[in-house]
Amino acid sequence: MATTATITLESLDIAGDPVNVSKTTTCTKAGTTTDLDQTTGLNRVHLRSTTNKVLLAANAEGNDLSAKVYIINKATDPTLYCTITINAQTVGKLYAGDWMFIPWSQTDTSASIEIAATNWTASTGDIPVEYALFHEDTDFLTNA
Amino acid sequence: MATTNAKITLSSDITDDSLSVNNESLLYTAGTTTGANTMTSVTKVLASTNQVDLITTGSVSTTHGYVYINNPDTDNTRHFKVTIGNAGGGSPTDTEEIGRLYGGDWMFMPWDVDDDICVAPSDGNDMTVEYMVFS
Repeated sequence: MATTATITLESLDIAGDPVNVSKTTTCTKAGTTTDLDQTTGLNRVHLRSTTNKVLLAANAEGNDLSAKVYIINKATDPTLYCTITINAQTVGKLYAGDWMFIPWSQTDTSASIEIAATNWTASTGDIPVEYALFHEDTDFLTNA
Repeated sequence: MATTNAKITLSSDITDDSLSVNNESLLYTAGTTTGANTMTSVTKVLASTNQVDLITTGSVSTTHGYVYINNPDTDNTRHFKVTIGNAGGGSPTDTEEIGRLYGGDWMFMPWDVDDDICVAPSDGNDMTVEYMVFS
């Protein structure tokens, strides 16, 4: 049971020569070649909270284990963004259409991944976000 | 303005019904449909386990960017601890660990350019890290 993630970064005009980077990783348990064997599957939520909400709750058992997180902002209005935070540390803003794929350490239970529809208003409509977690720890039910 | 595409293909057969995700986004400046027009592409070889500032806020002139980091190592046990946070006094401190990039792993994320992105190699023997920043 394998999980693979491929990124392709392409641009014909951001530099004098074309840029084309492609990389595939097979998601494995920490420091091994054994495939990750658990996932939340793909989830979809509609955000309207301008303050942080827990998207993925950290589990201290996950520290030193492998976990990969995929998040995408499915809004179509380019001004609408959601802010991604880990343990009160802002990582970045996902604008409409943006996605991220990161490893997640869960250094402790404070290391939850939180999300806020920072510039949501009643007139903007909800911000649809899809996400998935791939992981190896054995007791990770809080994200169900 | 430049046109830069970031595409992800995720495939998993962990569950009985397999998961397949394909998404492609254009990298824009914050809140616009104007393409990011600046790119940095760097390869570094780190020869100690000290945490180092890999991508500094001073290297980018905007408040929104995208970061790609790759660990090209073929040894699955060798990893970089990737952190984000305040780099104090020239020595990275007060950082939050995002995750660990083991040999062969990559990551891609938005960056709000408020704090440096740091890495700490797991092995003091030469470890290569590659990164790109679009802003």
